[in-house]
Amino acid sequence: MKADPKGVLTGTHELTGNEACAEGAFAAGCRFLGLYPIVPSVEISERYLERAPEIGATFIQMEDEVSALAAVLGASWTGKRSMTVTSGSGLSLMMEHLGLGIMLETPCVIVDVQSMGPGLGLPTRASQGDVMQARWGSHGDYEVIALAPSSPQEMFDYTIKAFNFSERYRIPAVVLSDAYIARLKEKVVIPAANKIELEPRRYYNGAPGTYLPYKRDKDYVPRMVDIGKGYRFHVTGLTHDDRGYPIMFEECQEYNVHPLMWKIRKYVDDIVEFQESQIDDADVVVVAYGVTARAAHSAVEKARAAGVKAGVLKLTTVWPFPEKRIATLAKKAKAFVVPEMNFGQIVSEVERCSYGEANVFFVAHGDTGIEDPENILSAIQEASRTQKVQSGVVEYRGA
Amino acid sequence: MNLIAKALKDGIQKSGVNPAMISMPSDIPFSQEVTRELGVDFFQTTRGRAIAFGTGLKLSNPALKVMPVAGDLMTLGGNHLVHGGRRNMELCVIVVNHFVYHTIAGKNAPPMTSAFSPYSTFEEPFNFPHLGNSCGAVFTARWTALHTDDLGQSIATALNKRGLSLVEIIAPGPNYYAGIEHLDEQLLKFYREQSEVKNGEDPRHVAIAPDKKIIVGNFTDKERPTFIDQYNMQLGKVLGEKFTPHGVIDKEPLPGGKIG
Repeated sequence: MKADPKGVLTGTHELTGNEACAEGAFAAGCRFLGLYPIVPSVEISERYLERAPEIGATFIQMEDEVSALAAVLGASWTGKRSMTVTSGSGLSLMMEHLGLGIMLETPCVIVDVQSMGPGLGLPTRASQGDVMQARWGSHGDYEVIALAPSSPQEMFDYTIKAFNFSERYRIPAVVLSDAYIARLKEKVVIPAANKIELEPRRYYNGAPGTYLPYKRDKDYVPRMVDIGKGYRFHVTGLTHDDRGYPIMFEECQEYNVHPLMWKIRKYVDDIVEFQESQIDDADVVVVAYGVTARAAHSAVEKARAAGVKAGVLKLTTVWPFPEKRIATLAKKAKAFVVPEMNFGQIVSEVERCSYGEANVFFVAHGDTGIEDPENILSAIQEASRTQKVQSGVVEYRGA
Repeated sequence: MNLIAKALKDGIQKSGVNPAMISMPSDIPFSQEVTRELGVDFFQTTRGRAIAFGTGLKLSNPALKVMPVAGDLMTLGGNHLVHGGRRNMELCVIVVNHFVYHTIAGKNAPPMTSAFSPYSTFEEPFNFPHLGNSCGAVFTARWTALHTDDLGQSIATALNKRGLSLVEIIAPGPNYYAGIEHLDEQLLKFYREQSEVKNGEDPRHVAIAPDKKIIVGNFTDKERPTFIDQYNMQLGKVLGEKFTPHGVIDKEPLPGGKIG
């Protein structure tokens, strides 16, 4: 399915990350925004609200983030691609409805422009502190898809990607941006509508009365119908059977919840994306995502100039995590260096997936400002001097 | 619950609305038989958030009739009712009030203790119709679940109102008293006997208190522009001819009116 030209602002623009996100949403066919304003995500809503009437999109400012995501889930069932934008404590409030979205298998997109926590934190400054929350924040067992852009262009591209993943796997997809990418202004190239490929919603086309909301296709993804079309269905956030009625038995829990994992875990190779540079001969691999990936590239250039064989693995999808790739690289490289704007989140995934085959050096960054490439560089240099070890030793720098 | 389901079915029939166009976000699980018989699209959402979920449904597809059925409405969902009323979102809100009233009109209710209230109830209940009216609801009513005909008629009226309407149903929760045989029926009868019909009563005067009868009836019935009316008016004013109104405009926007 190609994008609707009405929502595509084809051309070359100077846009901030937040503006590019709104444009990405329009290009992806998003026609409903439920929001509660919170810095530093507000410019996404501003841009969306400004352009929505001409595109035929609607929006509503709800009373809180809880209701914002609830309204988005509702809107999605009417057949409209829907999203919400938030930050920090807003994402915390959304966690219950992230779980509902997972259980009702409702496609939607949550854009989280990360700022500093915990609590109210430092809302005007960037962090990467919500990475684990996006994965584990709601109760129970589930899988999510989360993408981390590191430029306004990626903000545009990944927002479209998030909508495509959410429709393909019937899952809320998260875009993990941060306050720096949100405000960074760069060139953004928006292609023609017929060059933007969108994942169509998979509809059930049978007769009313025959629809089973949670009867799964071979790939574990059930089909949807729009409400008001006479299908008269029942869906519930409780453990349910194919008909969508609550069945409160352990057997049903297993029948219901396992496929929520399988539909992602069995297709991890289709979902996981990353970008590598200078990785083939690298002794030290810097694993980075979001704005930190920019500093990582700069540090690796300097390391190469100094004769250290270093490379970058930049995560496009933070979740699912590229487990296999890390495991393969762990056998080849001496060490991983993981810089993050937090006190250690993705680094634990890198440790886990390297199975003790490589050293893991963490570059913690809890204060304001983008990570200094020099810090990453010194970690690369230190990592390159270490001997290959059998068990992974983590050295927390600056933490 | 069967009584409520019957009233909902009755109300939908009397309203003349095609059930296929009704979507019912709820925080109460309904049995398969009930939803099938109602013939609506049914969503069991999170506790107390039925109005918020319904807001997305209605705004995104204004041709739908959205009927949130809520049990935890005034606990978790209190703020959503307040803002839904203020916006005058077109929602027909049914709130099932399980609050346990141990004394009404000076008479003691059948003995009721449960794991959640081993000492019986001592907190004051909400005055739902007054609350709804103050928040801007265009229609408020209260009935016990045993007032089946009146309740059905009120639901029919509420479904056809443009704006947020609130119908309170006083009914004991069957699961609460599952251990005591027929207690829910005894309670229902007690509530019905201790109630007094006062249609058109000022909602300020219908609070439920131990020394008074339960006042039931249709209370508020007014008109205010809905959220979508206001959305279209304001965006039309700012953007002029560039703006295409949102939704199905089947009636003239209602004249302005004050909340409360």
